[in-house]
Amino acid sequence: MRKHILPILAILLLTALFLSACGAPATPEPTPVPPTKPPPTAVPPTATPKPVEPTAVPEPKGPPDLTGETITIYHFGDLSGPYAAITGPLIHGAEDAVKAINEAGGIYGAQLEVKFSDTGGSVDEAVAAYDRFTSEDDNVLIMIMYGSGEAEALAPRLVEDKIPGLSAGLSSQAFYGKESGYTFGLGPIYPDQIGYTMKYIVDNWTDLKPENAGDEVKLAYLSWPTAFGQGALTDESRAYLADLGVEIVAEETYDVSPAADTTMAILTAQAAGANVIWTNTLAFGPAVILNDLNSLGLRGDFVVAADNWAQDLSLYAFLADPAYGVGLITPFPYLWWTDTDHPGIQYAQRIFEANERPAAEHNVGYLLLVAGVDIAKTAFERAIDTVGYENLTGEAVYQALQELGEYQALGGVFRADYANGSRSPHESQIRMIKGGPDAFTVIQDWSQTPDLRPKN
Amino acid sequence: MNWQLLPQFTISGLLAGGPIALMALGLVLIFKSSYIFNFAQGQLLLLGTLLTWWLAVGLALPLWLAIVIALAASAVLGLLIERLTLRPMTGQPLLSIILMTLALGQFLQGMALLLFGGTQRNFPQMFSAANPYKIVTPFIYNERNIQIILKQNLVWSFVVAILGVVLIAAFFRFTRTGLAMRGASEDHELAQSIGLRINRIFGISWAMAGVVATVGGVLLATSSGLDLNISLLVLTAFPAVLLGGLESIPGVIVGGLIIGLSQGLVSASTVQFIRNSAEIMPYVVLMIVLLIRPEGLFGLKRIERI
Amino acid sequence: MTLLRPAGEFDESYASDMATIRRPWQWVALGLFLAAIYLLPSYASQNTIALVNRIAISVIAVQGLNLLTGYTGQISLGQAAFMTVGGYTSALLMIHMEWSLFVTLPLSALAAGVVGLIFGLPSLRVKGFYLTMSTLAAQFIIPWFTRNAFPDLLNGAQGLNVPVPVLFGVAINSPQRFLYLTITILIITTVVASNAARSRLGRAFVSIRDNDLAAELLGVNLYKYKLQAFFLASVYAGIAGALSAHYLRHINSESFGLADSIILLGMLIVGGLGTNLGPFLGAALVEFLIELATLAGPFLGKIAPSTAAGAVQALRPLFFGAALMLFLIFEPKGLAHRWQLIKAAWRLRPFSH
Repeated sequence: MRKHILPILAILLLTALFLSACGAPATPEPTPVPPTKPPPTAVPPTATPKPVEPTAVPEPKGPPDLTGETITIYHFGDLSGPYAAITGPLIHGAEDAVKAINEAGGIYGAQLEVKFSDTGGSVDEAVAAYDRFTSEDDNVLIMIMYGSGEAEALAPRLVEDKIPGLSAGLSSQAFYGKESGYTFGLGPIYPDQIGYTMKYIVDNWTDLKPENAGDEVKLAYLSWPTAFGQGALTDESRAYLADLGVEIVAEETYDVSPAADTTMAILTAQAAGANVIWTNTLAFGPAVILNDLNSLGLRGDFVVAADNWAQDLSLYAFLADPAYGVGLITPFPYLWWTDTDHPGIQYAQRIFEANERPAAEHNVGYLLLVAGVDIAKTAFERAIDTVGYENLTGEAVYQALQELGEYQALGGVFRADYANGSRSPHESQIRMIKGGPDAFTVIQDWSQTPDLRPKN
Repeated sequence: MNWQLLPQFTISGLLAGGPIALMALGLVLIFKSSYIFNFAQGQLLLLGTLLTWWLAVGLALPLWLAIVIALAASAVLGLLIERLTLRPMTGQPLLSIILMTLALGQFLQGMALLLFGGTQRNFPQMFSAANPYKIVTPFIYNERNIQIILKQNLVWSFVVAILGVVLIAAFFRFTRTGLAMRGASEDHELAQSIGLRINRIFGISWAMAGVVATVGGVLLATSSGLDLNISLLVLTAFPAVLLGGLESIPGVIVGGLIIGLSQGLVSASTVQFIRNSAEIMPYVVLMIVLLIRPEGLFGLKRIERI
Repeated sequence: MTLLRPAGEFDESYASDMATIRRPWQWVALGLFLAAIYLLPSYASQNTIALVNRIAISVIAVQGLNLLTGYTGQISLGQAAFMTVGGYTSALLMIHMEWSLFVTLPLSALAAGVVGLIFGLPSLRVKGFYLTMSTLAAQFIIPWFTRNAFPDLLNGAQGLNVPVPVLFGVAINSPQRFLYLTITILIITTVVASNAARSRLGRAFVSIRDNDLAAELLGVNLYKYKLQAFFLASVYAGIAGALSAHYLRHINSESFGLADSIILLGMLIVGGLGTNLGPFLGAALVEFLIELATLAGPFLGKIAPSTAAGAVQALRPLFFGAALMLFLIFEPKGLAHRWQLIKAAWRLRPFSH
């Protein structure tokens, strides 16, 4: 039998060569491109409130015809690690949005494509994927990423290689760290989120406060021990909370797992006199807290608030009883699927239905990436208008993103704010779960979040 | 020390030791018969639990039937693993055998991810998530009696786990097969010479380990959900095994309870750094055991000759 | 090393008996090989260069593990934890002291070595499987420490953004530039490891591996040599960890986990325990398998879309686990042994037995 190892190795080797031969060329399939000039996309994204003058357009000629060209969006996230529940729909959202744009004529006729790499939630994998992408393509125009850790680790590389990044991981270091500068956020940074929400809670304490609570708002920060989980507590947000009169009485961590046991964290928080819990996690984080609060019979003692990712349909996959979700408060920097009278939501809904995605993906990830791809598309168009397709580089897209300024993606589903050194939005709603799934009810309409960027 | 939380955390720590003991039992079963320490036990647990989930949720079978089928399947899986991967390793050095179970663990983890995907799942509830048990203690803090709140699933998981361990211990004590297995664990060659079929005994112990792993996995998953990282939970059982003694079945209960208790006690500290150390307490205990009494509380001290 | 040599070739001095490189043509081959590696940036793609960097860093860590596990027979599941120590040390020294890599690299190796000694202490009392558990403890306690201790310095779970090393005024910030650094260090570590293995130290290690009681009776100081093996292995891990941290420019408690420790052990088995060639062959084959999974994942996604989610991440442990199991059953002495057999068969041809 031992002699068989060589044939086995040989077969492995041949498979490898075969696969690399298959993988390498990546011939763009000739897609039937409508010969017409780009018709207006399904949702004409309304221009920015303050129109940015196109800076010195070389010569006023009509839009170029880029039929036959391909523009690639590089994309990496976690399909197999702890964040899989939320990134799966994110990826499908991006794919479907790109498909819809291509069907509507692409970008001046050029087809968009998405190249995806699974990082399993690991920073090392993200760096390896980054190396692979930049090795395959020496003119990467944009990258979309999700993890806070990944976004932080890649920020300096993006600056060096002059590639703009859109990140759904919203830790402040990724956008405003010393070596950052090319990373743009798909939501307000977590310190802004906690400040904004806690301000609301303090202002409305008489309505919100638990039965036995006093007049002081005492916060327990129960979260994951990861870059994401700890992302909301920075020097700036601590100072802001102190100014609000919010005392942080407990900082506990629990495992990044829907099977985590938060009993001890909750009881420690209770013993410390907390009456508000903030958790900075994906939806299964508040799910375990809400489950444990209920099974401990302590739900009535706390206001539970969390970051924007928590108020999502994926919450209901982990709640022992859907009713446990009621009362969760989070910032909500985008519209929701139930806002059916909004044309942007209608557009996303059409894409979702056209691709027959399962109901579980009808979540924030999908919606946000339809909006994210709209931002990328608009930035591409603006960059092409300014420098021409042949000069289209990551830097040009970066300039275009900045010129977009306070752009409202999909006509207002998401409100970017990329002007004047800001690289993350500063406007959000606050919603609270009232009643059954999807009843994400607005309790505070769009307004400015505090600006808690780190001061470097 | 956070005195008001001490009674609570002592009790919930001890109760959490139940499932740890059950996971440790799976390891001891295999070690006792074949001197193999199975690093793939976590993946055995993972696959058994995923299978239960698939049968109960995917195929919508009643939960009890799903569990029965999954238990049978994991027994078969245990047998297969023993036959296909560890039988060929007989007589190989310790390193090769340790690595074989590690490699097996990686392989099964990849398989689970490929077959079931990486998303977290809601597992059918077996015990009510509401209505916790409340015990009023005689200890007074802030002029009120300290209350202990215990989640139902914590209590019942503990009961099931301890019952399982006692059942297996009884099997070893009172049945012929159990007796044969105990005999075989003393000396493989001697056992063979009096007519015990050593291969069959290895097979039985792996099958039992598979069953025990699945029971443990289902208990863990039903309390809050299932994801692929559940396989890592067995890592907290390794120290319990060493603490109890590698060959000792009663040892796993003691080991499991001590590990659980140690985690509960540090959680009652007022210093955050110490509270956070609950995560690594099993391994701190392990290092202490290794330095002071490597053979564990109930293990056998081995004498070596050249 | 050499199993068989052509008839009539004799060693005439101790030096030639101990020599690793015996013939002039071997010097030429070595030189050409090194030139081919150093010149990679001029002809290979960035992806290839990144792969070579990853392999080289793994080789260094596996060389250390080889001294401990391959030569001394002490099984360690904590090699990656000591890489964490090295990575953090170098990063911290560069961030706060702004020292050059020339200083931080040896210091990070030393720091990892000292921590390795601490977790090697139980080897005074226990061995075999028990010792494995002690190294496993290191794999949990060290990352936990980086998450929870000195939050101002270690930055908790978020970890550190590691500075780009600057050597001779050049920022080492691309895989191409990094290649020169890793390969140069790899040459040094290889020379040191092979010399350690064939000296008194190496012979003591082997005697402990083969029969520790007999070795002790013959006057080998078990504790001294076991601890030296732990120290050396961790020093290598520290170097590899520091290089990796500077290469990825980021380190946190999850950068080097239990899975990495298992992979390093797997590389050693696949390559061949207790050989100088083993770490190279093993690291190359395993990294190659990982790369293969990266290529095969999307391919598998096309033919069976239901498995597409996470296929790459699923295939990696699958391929690695399967390869390791096959090797353990069919080729437990690893690729280096097979290489010897091939060489011997060539020499003996046409009389193959």
